[in-house]
Amino acid sequence: MSMTLKSLDPRVDRLGIPEEWASPMAPKESLDQFETYEAFVQMKENKPFEHVGPVHAPNEEMAFLFAKEQYSRRGMFCHALCVIKTENIQTTGFTDNNISIYDSIESMPSGDESESFEVFHLLKRGKQHKYVGNVNAKDFEDALAVAKQNYPSEKPVFNVWVARSEHILTSDDEDRDIWETLKEKQYREAIDYRAQDKIKAFKERTSEA
Amino acid sequence: MYGGGNVFEAMKATALAEEDPQKLAEFEARIDRGEKIEPKDWMPQLYRKQLIRMIEQHAHSEIIGALPEGTWITRAPGFKRKLALMAKVQDEVGHAQLLYSAAETLGKSREQMIDDLITGKSKYSNIFNYPAFTWADSCFISWLVDAGAIVNQVANSKGSYGPYCRALERICAEESFHLKYGHHCVIHLATGTKKQREMMQAAVNRWWAPMMHFFGPSDKISVHSEILMRWKVKMASNDECRQQFLDMYVPKIWELGLTVPDENLKKNQETGQWEFTEPDWEEFKRVINGDGPCNKERLAVRRTAEERGRWVREALLAPKAKYVTPLA
Repeated sequence: MSMTLKSLDPRVDRLGIPEEWASPMAPKESLDQFETYEAFVQMKENKPFEHVGPVHAPNEEMAFLFAKEQYSRRGMFCHALCVIKTENIQTTGFTDNNISIYDSIESMPSGDESESFEVFHLLKRGKQHKYVGNVNAKDFEDALAVAKQNYPSEKPVFNVWVARSEHILTSDDEDRDIWETLKEKQYREAIDYRAQDKIKAFKERTSEA
Repeated sequence: MYGGGNVFEAMKATALAEEDPQKLAEFEARIDRGEKIEPKDWMPQLYRKQLIRMIEQHAHSEIIGALPEGTWITRAPGFKRKLALMAKVQDEVGHAQLLYSAAETLGKSREQMIDDLITGKSKYSNIFNYPAFTWADSCFISWLVDAGAIVNQVANSKGSYGPYCRALERICAEESFHLKYGHHCVIHLATGTKKQREMMQAAVNRWWAPMMHFFGPSDKISVHSEILMRWKVKMASNDECRQQFLDMYVPKIWELGLTVPDENLKKNQETGQWEFTEPDWEEFKRVINGDGPCNKERLAVRRTAEERGRWVREALLAPKAKYVTPLA
């Protein structure tokens, strides 16, 4: 019988890991990688949704759950959250130096309003995309043309993301209590660890001795 | 949590010769203006490579760093400490996810990074190759290793790569709980019974050398290319981070009646610099190259989790799923 790895950690000992592996780890299936989703958070009521970052998940519901864990944790205010599968977001090119990406969009709205899209703008490089509004158009290109007309921006727009409304999973307003930090979870906050009194008492005690 | 001592790839003098000089000038001008670089922007191959390596090492350090602390969850003294340590370890694993995503925007998939960790191709913070013998070791890690990581992470959050900076801002916000929690644990032991104080002092003695290694080799012997500083990949030198750490935390260690196991450690009042015995960099090299007390165990545990957790991923996988690199 081969030797098992000895650890200080009883849990590791219980795993019965071999001391030496017989072979390297088997290569993984090429699909052994979850899809990516982009998460957006609305910090307060009446504030726009803002991109917060990606998550990896096997489906939309799990993406929502992971995004909640990752991006609405303590100290990060959250009023609502939504996720969109990365491949369902169309992006324009990037511009800089006060040039708006809309300057390069010359087509006029087609007038065909058969589909609903949601539009996000990047107004400051280094910051994240913010939701600007909904447009009805026939396709992504057309959605950009409509957004250019409906959402003129004083500041240059460096990059635009567009997604079909049906591809967005948003939290339900009725479930808003999921964002609240429970009182009994105060141990997860820095404020729960005040200790200056203890240090002071210790110093007084040791200086007397 | 992560320190300096990044293992950067050796750079060839010709590495930049193949880049388009005009694009390179625009790229550098953007960084000089204090603007962030975003995933879709043009960037030199060298910048991309070094950033992937750095962010990936940082992510692995979060995952591996959860192991020596995770060990103590079930044996933490009392219900409240158990809950808090569990929350902290969960945070660290979450940090790894944020960082893997940031590295991924540069074109290396998360699966590939996880594979490279398990095969030993990628490194992680050397300090986690040491074992946590007692509860006091876990307290040392929560307070001082995290403190060291914060020094480094706050510096790096001012760097040039947008997705990494944004991930670091989130991470630093959570680290403040870790730091306070860790300090609280250390104070409890250091101001407690004789036995508790001895236990805490023994942990400080064990961890001091790895802690000094944590920030990486001295600038005198570590050839950190000036270009990584100019491109704001590396924001503070190893020695600067080490000095800042000593300045902030040695007085806090001393005020608890604990000693630091280095008789040469003192602040030179004229230069304002801390002086100390030169850390043993041969030991550092030996451990980072695989010969530390826990290297084998750390990777074996990761590999076991990966192999035995396969059925979970298979059960969750959507058969038509298509992988797409995250956007920002």
